[in-house]
Amino acid sequence: MATFSSTHCPSYSYPSSIKGGKNQRLAFSSSFPRLSVPAEAKFFLQSQTSSHQNAVLMQDGAVATKVNPVEKETPLKKLKNELLSVTSSEEWDEKGCFDINENESTVSITVVGASGDLAKKKIFPALFALYYEDCLPKHFTVYGYARSKMTDAELRNMVSKTLTCRIDKRENCGEKMDQFLKRCFYHSGQYDSEENFAQLDKKLKEHEGGRVSNRLFYLSIPPNIFIDAVKCASLSASSGNGWTRVIVEKPFGRDSESSAALTRALKQYLAEDQIFRIDHYLGKELVENLSVLRFSNLIFEPLWSRQYIRNVQLIFSEDFGTEGRGGYFDHYGIIRDIMQNHLLQILALFAMETPVSLDAEDIRNEKVKVLRSMRPLQLDDVVIGQYKSHTKGGITYPAYTDDNTVPKDSLTPTFAAAALFIDNARWDGVPFLMKAGKALHNKRAEIRVQFRHVPGNLYNRNFGTDLDRATNELVIRVQPDEAIYLKINNKVPGLGMRLDRSNLNLHYAARYSKEIPDAYERLLLDAIEGERRLFIRSDELNAAWALFTPVLKELEEKKIIPEYYPYGSRGPVGAHYLAARYSVRWGDLGVDQ
Amino acid sequence: MATHFSPCSSSSSSSLTFSSEFTVCKPRRYCFSKWVSQVRPRIHARNHFRIKSSNGHPLNAVSMQEGLFGLGMDGTPLAEGIKPEEQEIFLDFSDSEKVQSTLSITVVGASGDLAKKKIFPALFALYYEDCLPENFMVFGYARTKLTNEELRNMISGTLTCRIDKRANCEDKMEQFLKRCFYHSGQYNSEEHFAELDSKLKEKEAGKLSNRLFYLSIPPNIFVDVVRCASLKASAANGWTRVIVEKPFGRDSESSAELTRCLKQYLTEDQIFRIDHYLGKELVENLSVLRFSNLVFEPLWSRNYIRNVQLIFSEDFGTEGRGGYFDNYGIIRDIMQNHLLQILALFAMETPVSLEAEDIRNEKVKVLRSMRPLQLEDVIVGQYKGHNKGGKIYPGYTDDSTVPNNSLTPTFAAAALFINNARWDGVPFLMKAGKALHTRRAEIRVQFRHVPGNLYKQNFGTDLDKATNELVLRVQPDEAIYLKVNNKVPGLGMRLDRSDLNLLYRARYPKEIPDAYERLLLDAIAGERRLFIRSDELDAAWSLFTPLLRELEENKIFPELYPYGSRGPVGAHYLAAKYNVRWGDLSGEDSQE
Repeated sequence: MATFSSTHCPSYSYPSSIKGGKNQRLAFSSSFPRLSVPAEAKFFLQSQTSSHQNAVLMQDGAVATKVNPVEKETPLKKLKNELLSVTSSEEWDEKGCFDINENESTVSITVVGASGDLAKKKIFPALFALYYEDCLPKHFTVYGYARSKMTDAELRNMVSKTLTCRIDKRENCGEKMDQFLKRCFYHSGQYDSEENFAQLDKKLKEHEGGRVSNRLFYLSIPPNIFIDAVKCASLSASSGNGWTRVIVEKPFGRDSESSAALTRALKQYLAEDQIFRIDHYLGKELVENLSVLRFSNLIFEPLWSRQYIRNVQLIFSEDFGTEGRGGYFDHYGIIRDIMQNHLLQILALFAMETPVSLDAEDIRNEKVKVLRSMRPLQLDDVVIGQYKSHTKGGITYPAYTDDNTVPKDSLTPTFAAAALFIDNARWDGVPFLMKAGKALHNKRAEIRVQFRHVPGNLYNRNFGTDLDRATNELVIRVQPDEAIYLKINNKVPGLGMRLDRSNLNLHYAARYSKEIPDAYERLLLDAIEGERRLFIRSDELNAAWALFTPVLKELEEKKIIPEYYPYGSRGPVGAHYLAARYSVRWGDLGVDQ
Repeated sequence: MATHFSPCSSSSSSSLTFSSEFTVCKPRRYCFSKWVSQVRPRIHARNHFRIKSSNGHPLNAVSMQEGLFGLGMDGTPLAEGIKPEEQEIFLDFSDSEKVQSTLSITVVGASGDLAKKKIFPALFALYYEDCLPENFMVFGYARTKLTNEELRNMISGTLTCRIDKRANCEDKMEQFLKRCFYHSGQYNSEEHFAELDSKLKEKEAGKLSNRLFYLSIPPNIFVDVVRCASLKASAANGWTRVIVEKPFGRDSESSAELTRCLKQYLTEDQIFRIDHYLGKELVENLSVLRFSNLVFEPLWSRNYIRNVQLIFSEDFGTEGRGGYFDNYGIIRDIMQNHLLQILALFAMETPVSLEAEDIRNEKVKVLRSMRPLQLEDVIVGQYKGHNKGGKIYPGYTDDSTVPNNSLTPTFAAAALFINNARWDGVPFLMKAGKALHTRRAEIRVQFRHVPGNLYKQNFGTDLDKATNELVLRVQPDEAIYLKVNNKVPGLGMRLDRSDLNLLYRARYPKEIPDAYERLLLDAIAGERRLFIRSDELDAAWSLFTPLLRELEENKIFPELYPYGSRGPVGAHYLAAKYNVRWGDLSGEDSQE
């Protein structure tokens, strides 16, 4: 095995970051200060009226009652002292920093909605993992912001429960965890209060101690308060001399109009390059690897077109339903929740032309071109389903509408399959099939590329009548159990001439013993570094909505009834008929998959 | 499926389904129900005949199945010679009819090493797998005086049962041995062959008789045996085929002479020149990979392939058996036949069909498009004694059967070129050697680097170090793997080469049959695909003969390398001359 460069996080460890790929990132990072908030943004104050009153439950606030104000002062002070003594004396000599001004610059990461589920499960653990891997800059501070009243100690307590150590290097983990927690703080405030954000600003400034301050806000809050939080953060807590960036999570609206309105509102306070729209699927290892596979191997790119590829399948399935958390989902449905973002993003990466470089704008330009070459989805090309209850082995699995957070007469699809087409020279006529569903028989996300049959196949008679059953297939399994395999026809060893399909296999667990980092780690790191490659640009988002909005409207206006499928099944059979219409056979439901 | 050239182990039911698993018992059931295993080859033979005759093939191609004997012996017209079999095919496939034909396999040189180690065990394995026709017998023929019992004793020592199905093995072995007989005779005595003939006739008891002679004897008596066998022991009403082993001469002239002599007594389609490498599983699979997968053929040309390497190494020397080898050397022993045959299969254009003549036509075209090998494109080596860990390994010339001043190469590396549209400029590198550090045979295909590679900064300066590579490991431990560049999981963007892997042992737990089994079975079935046609042989020799002559006339001194080493470094310089890096010695081969 050859290793071509040996950094484990892109730009913080110096010795091997001399390679050009890293230099690009370095170049990016060193230009941070220029990307600060445009001053004029601060003048627009009143547009929060346009925000939608979504029926989304607030994620945080329940903890408030537990707070004991008396305990607040002493531990905080103590910790602060400790922290100060640590920061003044310690030397993390083994790690470099991305900036020449390393001693003068700080990064503070404010998790807005800190008591929510996502923050606890994903964001704090990802931050800790980055810290553990020495991927965070020397001076960093993590702030939790939410409405609940909490002390720093309580936040630390809450965070510490979800932190885990990497399987492959447990040493010093407890120690590291302590050090990390010492840098975590909490500020309680309303999401729409400029005053509270101004208080946060003051606290941040205190920690920054006059250094260049870079600030990252992670909005882990419901969409209806996005704009409020952005407005307050931008007006009252922007960095004075460094960059200010905001990570936002889906949903980015629910159709072209609402998405455009959201973007417009965000842009009142933020410039395009301050907005980091996260799609955590793009941070998945195998999705990242997709471009590497295509562009750093000679053997794939010649095959990457309508000439050789018969169809592409993007498959997402979960083996559980809404489980009492259907409130948010019911308002969006599987198409908005999975297809329009995760699957479509993967499709765009898969199908794009070779970009000029690996720079974010070059890649995103190519992705937008793909999206804009696509036909808007037609109602005929979509099948929707909803799971119904199912009793198996004495256990009764509930139907979607049995969820008490879901209206009884909900028509929201929990399953959808769709056929999409890219009308460009490379992909004309190649069906891209998507399938996403909840409460199916397994959990998986994968990309399947089915190749055409061999023209004039000499071994025709070995395959029976259906040549397409013996074609090559490339499978990129994103989760679980990451793997890449290529199905090839092979002679069965023995005296006869029997062929079968074997796999040329790359099983990640077997090849790479190291734990694969969570998508959030990579995305947070990229946001800190200003690497925008894996974040969605506004025009990308518009193009994506333009493909799905007409069909979503039609589905809702016509009140199309979803096809019901039992909980834990393989989904509605309609998906097969849709596939059959385009002469496709789902690869994941075949016998030899 | 598989009906085409495999009379045996594929089942008729599998033709309907594209099965993804292999069950061993299926073929057994179908084969053993007698008919299937026997009928298929004949159906094939009929098709074969029809295609030939209707196409009006040139005479050097096979214009008939068999029967020139008939002409030589009693003047029967050629067509008549075929008729009996043709007619038989049109008869009902009933058991009663089938019993009418017999097969006798005569191993000439039965007491030799090859016969004991390979031929008899392969015949037994075929019998065990129910791949032999119902009425068959095996005759050993040699000069040694032996009784049938003694022969059986000798054979039974080498028979082994398949690892994966031992049931009834003893029974089967006994039944097999009962069908083995011995006839002692001189190799140049027509009289003794006539005796053999009458013994065979006795056993055949008037049934249709098909006879296969396997010549496991030194080349100097090939022609004598063929003459005697053909004149005195040919089948009267069935086919007679002769399998010959290498060496087929030692240069163009001697090979042509041998062919001419053989053809005095045999027609082209009676001669089965065996190259046991062509019976190896992965070599067989090479065509399947190329022609039944869409993903390889578009890459199979100078546009994408930078070089091809054919590598053969043994980890032992001549070990006291250098007499034969010293007269031939590694180039004749391995390169001119095994490696060149694999090269031809690798590089040939898509044949019209999988018929033997179509494939062999394409192979000949490749060979004829190649430049004869130049002296400067070859390096030769010879192993010398080596002392390692207190153990002394002998030099080649320490072998008492080798002259002390022998210059015979035990190692050679060569660069060959195919001057056709597909392969112009692509170096095909061959390397073969004895007494090296490993035992292996493999084909390595190195692809070009990615034009305008977006990730080139991740690869350092040498783009060619990070190219894709397809490796077909023929032996040991059969495998196919494709080296791909991949992102190392983690937060950075590090690339490395990983393998897309197919390890046969893991995927196919069944034992892989020996090459001889397949080749014997094919010879019995009249399937000539894996045997070397005369014009192929001529073309192969004409590539190597000028070089061999030059090596010998100029007394080129081989580069000495220590026993058990990686071979002479000259091989690296030869590769470097054509911008190639040997894939097996790169140190990153994950299989090492």
